[in-house]
Amino acid sequence: MSPVSATYWGLPGYIIFWVLFAIAFGVFLRRSYFLYRLLRLGKPERRSDRIGQRAIFMLSVVSSQWCALKTVGFTDLAGLGHALMFWGFGFFLIGYVIIFGVDGGLGLSLPPAFEALYRSILDIAALFVIAAVIVAAIKRYIVKPKRLEREESPKEKIIMALLFTTMIVLMALHYGTEALKYSAYNISPSPIIGGLLANSLTSAGISPATLSATYTAFWWINYVLLLGALVYAPHSAHLHPLFSPANIFFRPLGPKGALEPVSAEETENFGVSKLQDFTWKQLLDLYSCTWCGRCHAACPAQLSGKSLSPREIILNLKDHLLEEGPRLLKGKAEASSKLIGDVVAEDALWACTTCGACIDACAVKVEHVRRIMDLRRNLVLTQNKMPETAQLMLRNMQSRGHPWAGIQSLRLRGDWTDGLDVKVLADGDTADTLFWVGCTGALVERNVKATISMTRVLKAAGVDFAVLGEAETCCGDPARRVGYEFQFQMMAEQNIETFKSHNIKEIVTSCPHCYNTLKNEYPQYGGDFKVVHYTQFIGNLIAQGKLKLANGLNAKLTYHDPCYLGRYNGVYQEPRQILQSIPQANLVEMARTRDKAFCCGGGGGHMWIEEQSGTTKINQMRLDDALKTGAEQVVTACPYCLQMFEEGIEHKNIKDSLKAKDLAEIVEAAMQPSESKGAA
Amino acid sequence: MNTIVCVKQVLDPEIPPAKFKIDPTAKQVIPPPGVPPVISVYDERAIEAACRLKDKHKGKITAISMGTEKAADVIKHAIAMGADDGFVLQDAAFENLDSFGTAYVLGKAIGKIGEYDLVLCGRQAADWGAGEVGSILAEMLGIPVVTLAADIQAADNTLKVKRIVSDGFEVLEAPMPCLVTVSGEIGLPRLPAGPRMMMARKKVVSVWKASDIGADSAKLDKANAHTEVTALTVPTRKTECEIITGSTPTEAAANLAAKINVLI
Repeated sequence: MSPVSATYWGLPGYIIFWVLFAIAFGVFLRRSYFLYRLLRLGKPERRSDRIGQRAIFMLSVVSSQWCALKTVGFTDLAGLGHALMFWGFGFFLIGYVIIFGVDGGLGLSLPPAFEALYRSILDIAALFVIAAVIVAAIKRYIVKPKRLEREESPKEKIIMALLFTTMIVLMALHYGTEALKYSAYNISPSPIIGGLLANSLTSAGISPATLSATYTAFWWINYVLLLGALVYAPHSAHLHPLFSPANIFFRPLGPKGALEPVSAEETENFGVSKLQDFTWKQLLDLYSCTWCGRCHAACPAQLSGKSLSPREIILNLKDHLLEEGPRLLKGKAEASSKLIGDVVAEDALWACTTCGACIDACAVKVEHVRRIMDLRRNLVLTQNKMPETAQLMLRNMQSRGHPWAGIQSLRLRGDWTDGLDVKVLADGDTADTLFWVGCTGALVERNVKATISMTRVLKAAGVDFAVLGEAETCCGDPARRVGYEFQFQMMAEQNIETFKSHNIKEIVTSCPHCYNTLKNEYPQYGGDFKVVHYTQFIGNLIAQGKLKLANGLNAKLTYHDPCYLGRYNGVYQEPRQILQSIPQANLVEMARTRDKAFCCGGGGGHMWIEEQSGTTKINQMRLDDALKTGAEQVVTACPYCLQMFEEGIEHKNIKDSLKAKDLAEIVEAAMQPSESKGAA
Repeated sequence: MNTIVCVKQVLDPEIPPAKFKIDPTAKQVIPPPGVPPVISVYDERAIEAACRLKDKHKGKITAISMGTEKAADVIKHAIAMGADDGFVLQDAAFENLDSFGTAYVLGKAIGKIGEYDLVLCGRQAADWGAGEVGSILAEMLGIPVVTLAADIQAADNTLKVKRIVSDGFEVLEAPMPCLVTVSGEIGLPRLPAGPRMMMARKKVVSVWKASDIGADSAKLDKANAHTEVTALTVPTRKTECEIITGSTPTEAAANLAAKINVLI
């Protein structure tokens, strides 16, 4: 009864079955091994620690389809479609092993009741798959959201069309084969839908011989189509079904967007200038990309009209890897096109604010920002190319120890402490808690106000703290984010030495960039201190009852999540709790908030880098988000964000209707009794 | 070719004007506390000019700086940019020297270094701005001098220098060894490459005293100075701000141009 037990042109079906299988599987393995060898072109990187934790995370995220389902929203059901496809086709993969392997190849006959049961499951799974294909096709060909806008190559168009068609054909073959089998051989019990179809075939009066011949034909077509898919899958550019789970397994477990230190000794070529400079994990990222475009649709540079698209960087690099790979494997050291310039444009690399929205949007844990930084490092450290404005910033950092100079510099580093009665650490002094002000908070007029507010809050809560005053220097973040790694390393080592010399235990920072640097990046250089952001510190003071926010603030507020506080460090709750604890404060959220918050435009060295001309300013877009809430005050907890909002408000000339505030200023106003309001 | 670059460390010219204090009786500037001194801008460009020549013609760059012990920072900066070696000239006898005294000390140090093809200085220092030391030093060394260089090219034993003049530039040739003072037009100084920066940071910069360079104490005696500061004052700054408007950008620009024409 099994189609393999018959003889075809004198050949036993079994022979045909296994020969076809061996050929297809052999080709599949050969290509997979090639793809593996391409990965091995990359540099080593350790991602095999905490295997248990990695496996559990990968299995749970992939099998539950949380990776796709977390993206589902009212306007985007594609994630649901993906989940249906995954589950539906997952059952089919098991089903195919049973049907073609056990039933066909091994010729084991299954108990009819069991067969009817698993075929019933497949009947429903097929509906899932068909629904998913319909959702996907509507999305791709009719709705065409921003994330899917793309100049697809003919090859890519074919892949998607083939994928959709193959799925539908496979499902049709499933129903057809099943109905023919049950009708031709009159088996019971029968699966649900297959049984109904079989009944209609039987009642149509087709002869059992015709039915069984058609069944055999369908069976073989289905089998050959499956083997074809097996061969095609690793050869197509759509590799994500094969590699995404591995990419999720090898995901970074350290701080988000963490950058690897560059060693001055080991090489003349820094960062990444060719495929072999990437690590194997960075190459695996390329295979894993599903070109879903969520990074593209989340990127502030892209949305403001700049030449950067994180999706295009990944896809272009993937094409480059697949094209150049065979030559490189043959021992040719040089690819035929330049990675920076031909594959990835220089100005795209400079457009990145390192906000990390792409990383959070990615369902398969692709690390875009680290890659952009590695390419930037090569431009800066090896090719000595960077925007002139960034150079000026670095010169200031080298000679003055901070990035702000020129006309902005109306004050000196320690000036803000005048008249505040704060403990400024002199050589040899020690302190447990250090308030790390940051360059912007110490030098830029607008931000100094927030620094002074923060100081008053700390003093009002009776916190025993000290500051470094004029001895404080830059944390090094702007240098590191523009790719000038060694300046960062020098600043880091110098600051760690300073902290140790004062016996500092705990550091409270104003700036989220300093916070991220001190907390997540200084440990690479031996600086392990307890670092907290001031929003966490104030939140704690309120929880302990040391700080009471009794004064009402009758205003509608919206809170802007700084990227390096929210996405990079997961501090979303504390600032909101503080604002909500203020009597009468009415906190409203912007449409893009928390992990989906839109960047202010100031990160990644962009406080000092001119935005690409002819493009929208990122801070204007974020200001529009704030305006849409109808809030009277936009509150943030980052000096760059604050400046960006102030600049946007000034530009729009809406100073009377919207105020930009630092959270510390709001807290200071709320902690004072009403009658003394304004006295400060 | 071997180049010696003379660099000076100065009070940061970008400090807020309100922070600039002097002692009128001692006729000295009082540096504000906590402000690190910086390399004089034209001297940094002189290092850049030396590095460009070295990129093309190989050779050795030696940087010297007369000043306090902190001047080691500018020597390290020069090394990070591309210099091979450098020395700080520090001695109580070197303090508050005039341009002639300074040139004398630099000349003695150059004599100690020995062989050279080219001496480079900034066109003037960012603090006093006298612009004299380069020319006096060339006179003392007995070599030709070209001032205000915007570009320097070397071929065989001759230097071709593009020199800034008030209405353009002139191109001069000079036999080596010679001295050139470098102007800002030469272009932005390079940012130090990472590995050089790390190497320079660890460098121990030697300090030469008056005795090390064989300086004659009579020449350093303030009584023998050629110049004297008779008075020191802070210039009064007056800022008047007027916003020029116009209904269109074109009109605003025209109004601005008209205003500038009246003022100049």
